[in-house]
Amino acid sequence: MDYLAEKYLRPRKIPSTACSGCGLGVIQKALVKAIDELGYGVSDIIWGTSIGCAGRQTFATWKGDGFAGTHGRVYAIARGLRLAIPPEKKLVFTVGDGDAFGIGFNHLLHAARTNTQMTIAVCDNLGYQSTGGQFGWTTPSGVKTDSSPYGMFEPNWVRDDMDVLHILREAGATFLARHVSMDGPRLEATFKKALQNNGFSLVHVIYPCTTNFGNNALGTRRAVDIFRWIKERAAPLGEEREGVIWKTGIYYDASNSRPEFSELMREKVGEIHRRYQNEGAS
Amino acid sequence: MKRYLETGNFAITQGAIIAGCRGFFGYPITPATEIAEAMSRLLPQVGGYYVQTEDETAAMHLAVGAALGGMKTMTATSGPGYILYADPYGWAIGCEIPLVVLNSQRVGPVSGITGAPGQGEFYLTRYPTQGGNFETIVLAPNSAQEAFFLTVEAFYLSERFRTPVTILADQLITDGWEDISIPETDEEKEAMGLRFAERKVHPGPEFYPPTDEIDLPPVVLGHNTGALCSDWTPTEEGYDIETVEAQHKHAYRLIYKIRNHMDLISRYETLFLDDDPEIIAVSFGTPSRVVKTAVKKAREKGVKVGMVRPITLWPFPDDLFNKKAIYLSVELNYDGQLVREVQRAAPCDSEVHFFGKCGELPTVAELHDLFDKLLKGEPLKRQGWETEAW
Repeated sequence: MDYLAEKYLRPRKIPSTACSGCGLGVIQKALVKAIDELGYGVSDIIWGTSIGCAGRQTFATWKGDGFAGTHGRVYAIARGLRLAIPPEKKLVFTVGDGDAFGIGFNHLLHAARTNTQMTIAVCDNLGYQSTGGQFGWTTPSGVKTDSSPYGMFEPNWVRDDMDVLHILREAGATFLARHVSMDGPRLEATFKKALQNNGFSLVHVIYPCTTNFGNNALGTRRAVDIFRWIKERAAPLGEEREGVIWKTGIYYDASNSRPEFSELMREKVGEIHRRYQNEGAS
Repeated sequence: MKRYLETGNFAITQGAIIAGCRGFFGYPITPATEIAEAMSRLLPQVGGYYVQTEDETAAMHLAVGAALGGMKTMTATSGPGYILYADPYGWAIGCEIPLVVLNSQRVGPVSGITGAPGQGEFYLTRYPTQGGNFETIVLAPNSAQEAFFLTVEAFYLSERFRTPVTILADQLITDGWEDISIPETDEEKEAMGLRFAERKVHPGPEFYPPTDEIDLPPVVLGHNTGALCSDWTPTEEGYDIETVEAQHKHAYRLIYKIRNHMDLISRYETLFLDDDPEIIAVSFGTPSRVVKTAVKKAREKGVKVGMVRPITLWPFPDDLFNKKAIYLSVELNYDGQLVREVQRAAPCDSEVHFFGKCGELPTVAELHDLFDKLLKGEPLKRQGWETEAW
């Protein structure tokens, strides 16, 4: 086990239960590395996960306190949890594309509206892969899956004119970024920034599924082919070229520009509480 | 002791705050809105939080989330919102997180009649989520004063049993104005029989052993215990696993930690059960008040009638139905829900009948007419459990 795994992860869960060649571990490693470089310890972070590949395979990997919530609801759970835990604790979530942009989207928007502190890594394997490979809300146009056998023809949410990150920005998110799992040091640097925002941070990371997406969409389970397919369709923001689907980098950074939800609640409730205590005493 | 002429909603709010509730998460819905309104006003005064959420699913998830952080929390709704609690209910039951949920029943199905009482969620509160393999605690008040008492009791039981406790009220209880006494001193609280339990913190990192024991501290995050909880079948350490052995241990704990401690949970009111009743009227919630009057008045006229009012609805108090008699279940629904449990629990050679109304209460005269018919062996008209067609 490497240094990071030994320091932050549970030996019982490492190596993880993810499929061979899955890109999930690369994202988690970048996130844990960012945590380490910022000097956070195991007790500084509560790690939450959800349903699907991203949730199940990362649940209980973190050595400290952790939970797996119901499908799409961790963003709601977090708003309650934040009010009860010590304010200095950070919430870090690894969730899937279906969880964040499908079933949980309403709660995600309200977490953004309230600017509740949570660093969310949306680990996007381009559809519902743990159920066998159905299309999702970010599945690229034309791609065949088990539930889009004629090619994905519904509009998805990763388009210049209809980007889920734009919706989240309008909804009040204070840090938004997009990457592919092969972005290495750039992904780590983004996670570091996301973690330093005392508010709602979301990093959308595309990663390769070698089992279902690879087989259904690309006709191969060879990891190298799937990695290449994603990499060819990604480019840093400002360096776009023909055929790029995923522009990578920081989309919006208004870190620490407005009050975090639980901080605001503590402040307001504190004021009212003190006022009534004084009135009671007088 | 302070006396008020106030609503059940007010009484419930007072009970929650006295019990130590410091987080309320709600979504406006008739007839439980006033609880949210009162909480938004009162909780900050005692350093507590009120959060209004985007829907009821979120409301209960926030409540469970804050409870998982160590806070005593509550949420309240009516039928259409209650159905959206299904998701977080399962999570709270499975992760064994204490909190209090109130459902003020109106008339269904769906939105039905918003401002009238119903009793259509008797079974829904027993099975508030999918999958089975759990037991639930459900308490049903029949007055504002009792709603106060049972709110405090619900918080107490939720802590000791590590589970959501449900208060099943109805529109007349929450909206109705009544004479309410709220205790102020410890002596007054004790005299009223109020019980309190503080939140304890699970030492972690293991989850729970396969035992029916209560009073094990629940998982609380944020104390660096390495505690885990999830929606999957847990190992004893809290890791997710897909084996029937682990699932059996988990289900055993969820079911028997409650079933094996009925003495702590069971509450009921009975009348004339030891005085040879030929008819036993059964009801809970608001209609039980009419039933009680009808039974007392009928006794004055020499009619041999008794009454059973389960206050703890679930686990269902089978032992209250061990007498052979003609049972009459009086409910605020037309489909007959409580009656099915009565039929199951009563001795095989007993008769079991049903009288249903909805959106309005039965009258004493109606009930007397029914007692009369039952004693003469005449069929009950229209509102029929095993009677003629509609």
